Amino acid sequence: MKSKKTLKVIVSAIIVFVCLFLLQRLLMPKYVSDIVEGSMIAEYYREEMDHDVVFIGDCEVYENFSPKVLWEEYGINSYIRGSAQQLIWQSYYLLEDTLRYEKPQVVIFNVLSMQYNEPQREAYNRMTLEGMKWSGAKVKAILASMTEEENFLDYVFPILRYHSRWSELKGEDLEYLFKPHQVSHNGYYMRVDVKPAENVPEGKVLADYSFGENAYDYLDRFTKLCKENDIQLILIKAPSLYPYWYDEWEAQMEEYAAGNNLLYINFLELVEETGLDFSTDTYDGGLHLNLSGAEKVSRYLGKVLQEEGVPDRRGEEALEKIWQEKAALYEQEKEEQYLALEAER
Amino acid sequence: MSKGRKTAAALLALVTIMALLAGCGSSENNIGSGAKDQIASGSQSGSGNQGSSGTENQGGQNGTQKGYVFTYKDVTISMDAEAAPLVAALGEPNSYFEAASCAFEGLDKMYTYSGFELDTYPTGDKDFVSAVVLKDDSVATPEGVVIGDSKSKLESVYGTASSTTDTLAVYEKDGMELRFILSGDSIVSIEYMSGAALQ
Repeated sequence: MKSKKTLKVIVSAIIVFVCLFLLQRLLMPKYVSDIVEGSMIAEYYREEMDHDVVFIGDCEVYENFSPKVLWEEYGINSYIRGSAQQLIWQSYYLLEDTLRYEKPQVVIFNVLSMQYNEPQREAYNRMTLEGMKWSGAKVKAILASMTEEENFLDYVFPILRYHSRWSELKGEDLEYLFKPHQVSHNGYYMRVDVKPAENVPEGKVLADYSFGENAYDYLDRFTKLCKENDIQLILIKAPSLYPYWYDEWEAQMEEYAAGNNLLYINFLELVEETGLDFSTDTYDGGLHLNLSGAEKVSRYLGKVLQEEGVPDRRGEEALEKIWQEKAALYEQEKEEQYLALEAER
Repeated sequence: MSKGRKTAAALLALVTIMALLAGCGSSENNIGSGAKDQIASGSQSGSGNQGSSGTENQGGQNGTQKGYVFTYKDVTISMDAEAAPLVAALGEPNSYFEAASCAFEGLDKMYTYSGFELDTYPTGDKDFVSAVVLKDDSVATPEGVVIGDSKSKLESVYGTASSTTDTLAVYEKDGMELRFILSGDSIVSIEYMSGAALQ
């Protein structure tokens, strides 16, 4: 009799738990039809973890480099772990997280996020952190990222944060309750439209151009973790014209790279070499590159990576097959975007 | 378990779920929706100057000015004021730039006029003033401070700053900030920043 009662309690608890779990899944944003960038971090875990190069950083990596070009023209197997306004401590913990699955030969980090020394905005935090699988790295990333208004428990039980979304649920919330949605091509967010860069403003005068202590601390940790794992760290500044990249910031990064024996590439200084044309190679007036621009920059970067000894893996049957499928999806989306543009005209 | 207890347990579960759903909903940002719930990141607003800023209240989102304001050719600009009427009154800018935020909808806009820049942020389908940045000494604050003035003049006009460093003096008022960037003893930039832009 007693064991029957215990069983009933256990079954009831399981039912409540399952209901709450389903409800939580339903209420969490799916990032399908808008703000698709929120899906990117989670996409990584569905990959074959065998990348030779991993990019880590903000929108300046996921919108400006094409892993497909690196593969097709150099046989470099790469992935971009990028997310919107990814802060440097998030990048660091994403590196820790990545190392749980694979050890790339090269990690490329975009240095724009050095400008932030403290937590910024919850919405961006969530787009990076919620997609991470639970691990010590994720816990530390959350703790390092939370603004004063945020609670750790809201990340553990997102239903506490999203309970009010019930009134704005859409069909896609049900459709993608469990089904994954692919928005990127190995982390690359494709855009084929064109909006020339015009009237890009100079940066406003700053009271202090020094990057913050916290930012430097995480850059140091990033560098150390790469060295400990025998990974070559390459620092880059992507060729985005805005937000403005100050000469004072450039000097600090050059000094840091030299002091730590790191390769640093500022693509803003390589416009001629990459062949970038900001009247045709950007879709938002110079903030991010479009497909044409991303492919140009990737061709240049591929050469650099080749010189740094990243292997050409074309010819590996299994990898060839994976990339064949990826390339087909890439070409399909490219065609669809061009058709959509044509239809708009 | 009696029928009454079962009903009570079911009701309790229902109430718990309803409480979770209702919660503090209305005051929250709607993360994950298409609506932009915040000012875009990464924006670096402009500057401006041939005018002046006053300290009277007239002109926020609700029509009441708050904090320090900047005036240019009889157009008074306060932080968080709706931008469209101001932009119309100011006339054709020398240049215009718009920046989409990473991921979120909406554009941060920068209108550059002679001597100053007006920046806006979107909320819903309207834009509001996030900053005014004075660029040169052709424009002044309403209190008469211009770029190039000394720190001592700044203090004689505005008094003691709310906060200060060697290179920055900040005067807070009604949730906005009037910021003077200094190089040595001289003012090199003057910025009006809305509280929303500073968050």
